[in-house]
Amino acid sequence: MSDTHQTPGGDAPVGPVASPAVPPGPEDGWQRLHPLSPLLRGGVVLLAVIGYAVTQLVDRVLSSIDVGLPGEVPGEVPADVPGDGPLEQVVAYPLLALAILVVVLAAAAFAGWVSWRFSRFRVGSSQVELRTGVLFRQHRQVALERIQAVELSRPLLARATGLAKVVVQAAGGADSSLTLAFLGVSRAEDLRLQLLDLAGHTDERRPGAEAMPGGVAAQVPAAPPQPRPVADGRPLVSVPNGRLFLATILHGSTVFLGVLALAVGASGQLGELGVVFAGVPAILPVAFAVAVGRVRELLTHGNFSLARTETALRVRHGLTDLRHATIPLHRVQAVEVLQPLWWRPWDWWRIRVNVAGVHGAGEDAVETTLLPVGSADDALAVLASLGARRDDPRITEALLGTGGEAGWVGVPKRARWLDPWVWRRAGYLLTPNAVVLRRGRWTRRTAVVPYARVQSLSLAQGPLQQRLRLARAAVVSTPGPVPTQVDHLADADAERFLDVVAARARVARQEVPEDGVRGGGTPVAPLAPGGAPLVD
Amino acid sequence: MTLRGGDQGWRPVSPALRSVRLLTLAGFAVPLLLAGVVVAVLVTPWAWLGVLAVVVLGAWAAWVIHRQVGAISWLELDEEIVIRKGRLYRTLVSVPYGRLQYVDIQSGPLARAFGIASCEIHTASPESGGSLPGLPTAEAEALRARLAARGEAQRAGL
Repeated sequence: MSDTHQTPGGDAPVGPVASPAVPPGPEDGWQRLHPLSPLLRGGVVLLAVIGYAVTQLVDRVLSSIDVGLPGEVPGEVPADVPGDGPLEQVVAYPLLALAILVVVLAAAAFAGWVSWRFSRFRVGSSQVELRTGVLFRQHRQVALERIQAVELSRPLLARATGLAKVVVQAAGGADSSLTLAFLGVSRAEDLRLQLLDLAGHTDERRPGAEAMPGGVAAQVPAAPPQPRPVADGRPLVSVPNGRLFLATILHGSTVFLGVLALAVGASGQLGELGVVFAGVPAILPVAFAVAVGRVRELLTHGNFSLARTETALRVRHGLTDLRHATIPLHRVQAVEVLQPLWWRPWDWWRIRVNVAGVHGAGEDAVETTLLPVGSADDALAVLASLGARRDDPRITEALLGTGGEAGWVGVPKRARWLDPWVWRRAGYLLTPNAVVLRRGRWTRRTAVVPYARVQSLSLAQGPLQQRLRLARAAVVSTPGPVPTQVDHLADADAERFLDVVAARARVARQEVPEDGVRGGGTPVAPLAPGGAPLVD
Repeated sequence: MTLRGGDQGWRPVSPALRSVRLLTLAGFAVPLLLAGVVVAVLVTPWAWLGVLAVVVLGAWAAWVIHRQVGAISWLELDEEIVIRKGRLYRTLVSVPYGRLQYVDIQSGPLARAFGIASCEIHTASPESGGSLPGLPTAEAEALRARLAARGEAQRAGL
């Protein structure tokens, strides 16, 4: 792979290209990705092919030794007889195989080279653009002002080669993100800071200006401006991989699987072999699915740590694919604190958020888990970083309450037929700043939506609920993992909920500046509009 | 704000929506009915059962459409637009003007013939938008203009 125009690793923009093979860009400023990119993107396939070839070869060698030992009929050379396996063919016609290999490699290299030549990106004054494809051209652009987050991602192969992927997240449709894969690490980091700068998220770079409202600990002392401040912020929590491992195993699916396995094992002990023979094949695919899910959880949330800059949270996570994500505080729309039944003995909690402009759960989705598993202290630290007050008694109520506390509006008794377990605990609390929604008897879930972040409100009522005069009230948040509704409220309570929340959201919308950062004002922590605590 | 009733001046949608939806239903049901009759006459009398089923289902659907359209109502408040729908499954959605991302006006050929259009309201959350079918075209356009103007005036950051 050679290129006559520009050292691709360089930071200087590539001008219009003279070669007729590449259409010249309308303006200057087009840059290329790292030339190893196609190799890395095809890396997994390449590894698989190589792995396959190696295992086949080893097989072949071993079996030829095996076969050779007993002594063949003299004069007959095994390699002359082409078998049916591909490797037998290779051994039979080594020159042809070599030629095919060379041709395939050359074609792949050429395709990679062409795709690299045609993939170019540009950071303009108002947008960032990416052009890819030769036959099926694609031109994707993201307006700088719509950029929600810029993330660096480093899969295993990229880490080995010192490269990184830059993912630009934008508000918009489900596929509005733009992925630059791959760039050199330092160039990627530069680009990230440049984009954040241009997008107006200068908070990422501005060292120590003002501590956050609510007096959550002392901020880092105002550091002298550095040439390239890497905004890592003040570390809040980190999750030991051992705890994560234990917590990952303590999951409904694995517990269920364990019980199932025990049952089958016990019946085996009792001599009911029929159950064992029927049970084991039935369990295996389930076990496999569970294992895949758990391993993915471990891979995603391994090496987890969370840090707080002035206006954003920095998440570092990933066991093999180490990622850095930045979640600007003013983009956090809703917060959920939850605790599965199996975590109770350890008092472990998980915290997730809805972030504006983050969609789906695709490969490049920005992380929305702020705490995969942490002690109550860790959870409080994270909540505090979002603007809640640590010593607030309402936090305990919201997390652990079982119903009937003052101020909480719960589910009426007549709903217990629809909700035998949850009806006592479920309910809502309207604090001066936020809606607190409590659900879940076994898995305790509590969601908080600040009035200023309420998108819209809705009520729903099915035929059965109509008969029982119940209704579901929902605070609609942006897409994300946090559910924000309460089922089976008394319909009068639901209607009052709508009225009160709508009125308070009206006030809150006027108080919050249009953009917590660009307006030049103090960045607003989601749970602390105007510096007020989570709950009063 | 209530799921049913209330005296804040809820506005119904155009009755033409009923005709449009009934015609659409007829577009499906009538060919099916004809086919059923032809089969019943020419092939087997058992097909009359199918014809009966189509008639019953069609009548039921027509009744549902009749009630559904009557149940759609909407209300423009100072800062929100509220849309109510459904009789069996009631829903109510309240969208603040400041949260509007964009507003779509849609109308198919049949709806255009009846002079109505539907108004779709989009916020940053795909589930929170409301759609308001069956507004007279001029009213839909006016509503869109009003919503856009108010959305601009009351815009709130995400």
